[in-house]
Amino acid sequence: MGKAIVITSGKGGVGKTTTSANIGTALALMGKRVCLMDLDIGLRNLDVVLGLDNRIIYDIVDVAEGRAKLPQALVKDKRFDDKLYLLPAAQNTDKTALQPDQVKEIVDELKPEYDYVLIDCPAGIEQGFMNAVAGADAAIVVTTPEISAVRDADRVVGLLEQHPLTEAPRLLINRIRLNMMQDGSMMDIDEITHHLGIELLGIIVDDDAVISTSNQGEPIVMQTENQASQGYRNVARRLEGQTVPLMKLEPQEEDGFWHKVSSWFHRG
Amino acid sequence: MQAAVLRGTQNGYDLVLKQSASLDQILADLRSLLENLNVDPTAMETPKVSLDVLTEDRILTADEKSQIEQLVGNYPRFEIHKIAANVMTIDDAIQLRERENVHLLSKVIRNGQEVAMQGDVLFLGTIHEGGKLRTTGNIFCMGDVSGILQAGYPDDESKLIMGNLVTAQQVRIAEQFDIIEPDQVADSSQTIAYVNDLHVLSYGKLSALKKINPKLYNRIGGI
Repeated sequence: MGKAIVITSGKGGVGKTTTSANIGTALALMGKRVCLMDLDIGLRNLDVVLGLDNRIIYDIVDVAEGRAKLPQALVKDKRFDDKLYLLPAAQNTDKTALQPDQVKEIVDELKPEYDYVLIDCPAGIEQGFMNAVAGADAAIVVTTPEISAVRDADRVVGLLEQHPLTEAPRLLINRIRLNMMQDGSMMDIDEITHHLGIELLGIIVDDDAVISTSNQGEPIVMQTENQASQGYRNVARRLEGQTVPLMKLEPQEEDGFWHKVSSWFHRG
Repeated sequence: MQAAVLRGTQNGYDLVLKQSASLDQILADLRSLLENLNVDPTAMETPKVSLDVLTEDRILTADEKSQIEQLVGNYPRFEIHKIAANVMTIDDAIQLRERENVHLLSKVIRNGQEVAMQGDVLFLGTIHEGGKLRTTGNIFCMGDVSGILQAGYPDDESKLIMGNLVTAQQVRIAEQFDIIEPDQVADSSQTIAYVNDLHVLSYGKLSALKKINPKLYNRIGGI
């Protein structure tokens, strides 16, 4: 029996979809069977980030309303040989097209087949959020080191505490900018974690490559050397129960190199 | 034995309805009692008699009360001042306890959450920005507050908020509210927020409690 994890944030644009795609891919790379569920109905884009948008035949609303069987709607990612599937959202309706018990039914049908069912939650805390949370066993709350994102994450954690899932929610801090955090103009990781009072699952540094790779429909975790990629891989390993120390936040290599060069001159 | 007994006290007359008697018997006895008094010629000169109806360990329903009121209402010489019992329902008792006790509360109140309490609250948790704690009584706050505190809800201006308010967003007492600006209140856990005689929210120190709210000060053992 697999585990259903909802990826949520409250605020939009903090990287829920990117996180869902990358954690899902990282777990598939570790040999786990993963199904990604896109619940952002009307504004779907998990399929685009994965590069599967041209293969959608049926969507989750078709399944819920009985127009298609669940296996018919699942889109297989051929890069990972039977490991990674996507249940796409509908694009021609809105969040009210689904009810929480319908979502729960679909999740319950998926769980025996997969090791992980990752649910990509839409922004906001209305019906779409309720739908996404309905079938989940655990939650990952994504935030960025910005006050607005942290406030919304706080709100979402409050809502999750009111309707407790089997596991307590865990925190993922996305888009960390090392230079801003070092000079104190951005909230630091300890501050955010302490404030929200939930367990830290992982941190992801901000990297241009995250955007450029998703534009090509290929999640960043496919690139092994990238720092953001390592962050997502670490998250996947922690989900699997491994103990992975928190990534050391160091300035990127180019900076390090120039720093070294300049230090030779300063040494004089 | 009479089921309805009239008793003179210093403050007037008590009408005791025996708890062991049935309501029918009480009504019958009460009628004959009032009938006897009504014909008593000496009593005619006294002014209108006000009765305190005591029901001992029995709680009358609204219907039963109105039956008794109706019966007494037939005799213009008598009027009912109040109907009282020695006992109260569990619901009433819980409400009384809620009102009178200091409640300990230790939880995280997050953005968008509102916790409503009854009576005085000793708060040991944390209020995040956008969270709100509201009560009908006083708030004694030992936790970190980055949200909103409201005492004396909805309209009791005699209530206080004590604790470190420097990081709070707003303080409200009854209908008065104040937005806490930086450096507006002292960074001290001995701050008291209260509503002054001009109905304006103001701040004082714990050492001045006797002056700020003598009633509370006396109640908690100040004298």
